Amino acid sequence: MDFFLLVWRNSFRKKIRFWLTCISVMVAFFLFSTLSGVNHALTASVSASNQYRLITSHKISLTQSLPINTQQKVAALAGVKQVSYASWFGGYFQNEKNQLAVTAVGHENYFRLFPEYLIPQQQLAQWKKTRTGVVIGQGIADKYGWKIGDQIPLSSSIWMNKSGSFNWSFTVSAIYRSKKKSADNNKVFFQHAYFDQGRAYAQNSVSWLSTEIKPQANVDNVIKSIDQLFAHTNSPTRTTTEQVFIKEQAQQFVDMAMVINIVVIAVFFTLLLIVCNTMIQAIRERNNESAMMKALGFSSMSLIQSIYFESLLLLGLGAGLGSLTAGLLITFIGQRFNDFLPGISLTASHYLTVFILVNIAAAVCSIFPAFAIKRIVISETLGGKA
Amino acid sequence: MNIKNDIILKNINKSYKKGDSTVVVLDHFNLTINSGDFVALMGPSGLGKSTLLHLMGGLDQPTSGEVIIGTQRIDNLTEAGLTKWRAENIGFVFQSHHLLPVLSAQGNVELPLALTPLNKKQRQQHADYALELVGMSDRSKHYPKELSGGQEQRVAIARAIVSDPNILLCDEPTGNLDRKTANEILELLAQLNRDFGKTIVMVTHDNKAAEYATRLINLESYITEQNNSTTGVS
Repeated sequence: MDFFLLVWRNSFRKKIRFWLTCISVMVAFFLFSTLSGVNHALTASVSASNQYRLITSHKISLTQSLPINTQQKVAALAGVKQVSYASWFGGYFQNEKNQLAVTAVGHENYFRLFPEYLIPQQQLAQWKKTRTGVVIGQGIADKYGWKIGDQIPLSSSIWMNKSGSFNWSFTVSAIYRSKKKSADNNKVFFQHAYFDQGRAYAQNSVSWLSTEIKPQANVDNVIKSIDQLFAHTNSPTRTTTEQVFIKEQAQQFVDMAMVINIVVIAVFFTLLLIVCNTMIQAIRERNNESAMMKALGFSSMSLIQSIYFESLLLLGLGAGLGSLTAGLLITFIGQRFNDFLPGISLTASHYLTVFILVNIAAAVCSIFPAFAIKRIVISETLGGKA
Repeated sequence: MNIKNDIILKNINKSYKKGDSTVVVLDHFNLTINSGDFVALMGPSGLGKSTLLHLMGGLDQPTSGEVIIGTQRIDNLTEAGLTKWRAENIGFVFQSHHLLPVLSAQGNVELPLALTPLNKKQRQQHADYALELVGMSDRSKHYPKELSGGQEQRVAIARAIVSDPNILLCDEPTGNLDRKTANEILELLAQLNRDFGKTIVMVTHDNKAAEYATRLINLESYITEQNNSTTGVS
C-alpha cells in the first residue's frame, strides 16, 4: 500500500462526484485556455511590432486621409530616419467571404521599414518594376495556389477605379515569409502609385504614414514634433508608436486582456468553491477513517498532504483535459481560420499559468479540510466517553 | 524476545467540560497492568472503561496524573510525539473495525507499515504473515464490503499486530459479532497473548469474553476497593 495509491483510490471513491467536479474544472480551463489563445493572436502583432516605428494618421480617424506630401515634411524632421506611407484597400478575392488584408504601400522604401517581411531580393526588384505587382504572404500563396507571374483579380469594398468598377487586376511579383511564426503570413501589398493612378477619387492622399526613427532619437519628442507640424493645417495628425496603434485597433473590438482577467478571476473563484465543497464533503464522510489513521500513527500533516494531492489530482486532471481540448480547438482554428486570427496558439507561459493556478487552488482547497482533520479528537470519534 | 512493558496509571484524574458543569470520570485512579497480561476491563457504562483504554493508548490525556508504559511516560508527550509513540507501541482494535473501504484486506493490514522504513516487498511479507496468523490469507485480496463482520474484525486485528506492537488495546472487539464469531475472535486474542506474549487490555460487557482473559478487572468494585483502601474502610 503506497501513499499515492491511497490518494488515487480515495479520489475515485465517489466516481460520479469526482467526474462531475472534474468536468466543471475542465470547462473552466477550456474557456480560460481558449480566450488565452485568442488573446495571444491579438497581441502577437503588438509584440512583433517595432518600437522604433511610428504610425501617423489623421487626428479625427483612420478613415480620413492625409496629403501624400506629408511624407516629405515628416522625413525632414530631426530624429526621423525614413518615412513611407500606405492606404487601406479593403480587398477580397472573388466574393466577400474571402476577405484579404490588402494595402497599397510606397514601393520605394516600404519594405526597408519592415524588414520582418522576408522577400527575395530578385522578387522585390521585380515588384518595384511592375506597376500592377503584388507582394503576397506565403499563407495566401498556399491557400489559393498563387505563384509568381499569376494574374489575379482582387476587388475592393471601398475603392472604385476610373473605369467605374471595384475590380482591380494584379500580377503576383513576390512572395514573402515572416521572420516570426506568430506573424501574419496572409497580407497583400501593392504599389501605391498604381492605386493612386487607378482610383476614381482621392488622388495624392494616403491613409497613414509609417516612420522609422533614429535609434538615438527620443520617441516622445519625435511624436510631438510630427503632430505639432500639422496641428494648424487642414489635416491635423495623431502619431503613436506602432505598438500602441495596433493595440488600440485590437481594443476597438474588445479589450481581450481585461476579459481574460475577469474570466480568470471568475474561474478561479468558482473552482475554489466547487473543489473546496467537494473536499470538505469527502473529508466529512471519512471522519472515522481519518481518526483511525491518526490512531494508527499517521500525523495530521500526512492526512492533510493526502487531501492536497487529491485536490491536485482533481484540479490537474480537469485543467489538463480543459487545456488539451482548447489546444485542439485552437489548432483547428489556426489551420482553418488563420486569415482572421493569425498566430493563434497556446504558449508555454499559458501552460505555466495553468500549472501555478492549479497548485494554488489545490493548496487553498486543502485549508478547510486541514482544519477539520486537525480538529478530530480520536477518542471522541472512535469511541464514547464510557 | 518479550520486552517488559508494564502499564502504570498513577493518581489519574480525568474530567470533561459538559456545558457549564464538569463531569469527573476518573478520580485519583491507580492501576498497574503487568507486561504479558490479558486483562478484561468490565463494569457498567459511564465508569470510564473506554477512557482508561484511550489514556493507555495515548488517544487522550489525563487532566492530571501519570501514564507510564514501560519506561516511557506518555501523558506529557506532544501530539506529534504521541502519534509516533502509538505507531511504534500500540495496536488498536475497536468495536467497529474502521477498515478503509478503498483498500483490500492486504492493503488495510499494510497501512500502518507505511510509517515504517520497510520496503514494499517487506511490507507485503509482514502483512501476509499477519493475515495468516488471523486465518485470513485466503481473503487477502478481498475488499471490506466482500467480508463478513467476523472476517473484517480479523483483518482489523491483523492490522493491529502487523507492526508487532507489545500492547493491544481492544474496545468491545466482539460487540458487533454473533457468539460463534465472537468466540473465534476471542480465541485469536488469547492466542496472541499466549503464543506471542502480547499484553492485551480489552474493554467488554460480555462475561463470556472475560473468560478468555487472564485477569478480570470489574471497574466498579475496583474503584470502590481503591477508595476504601485510601480512606481506610475495610
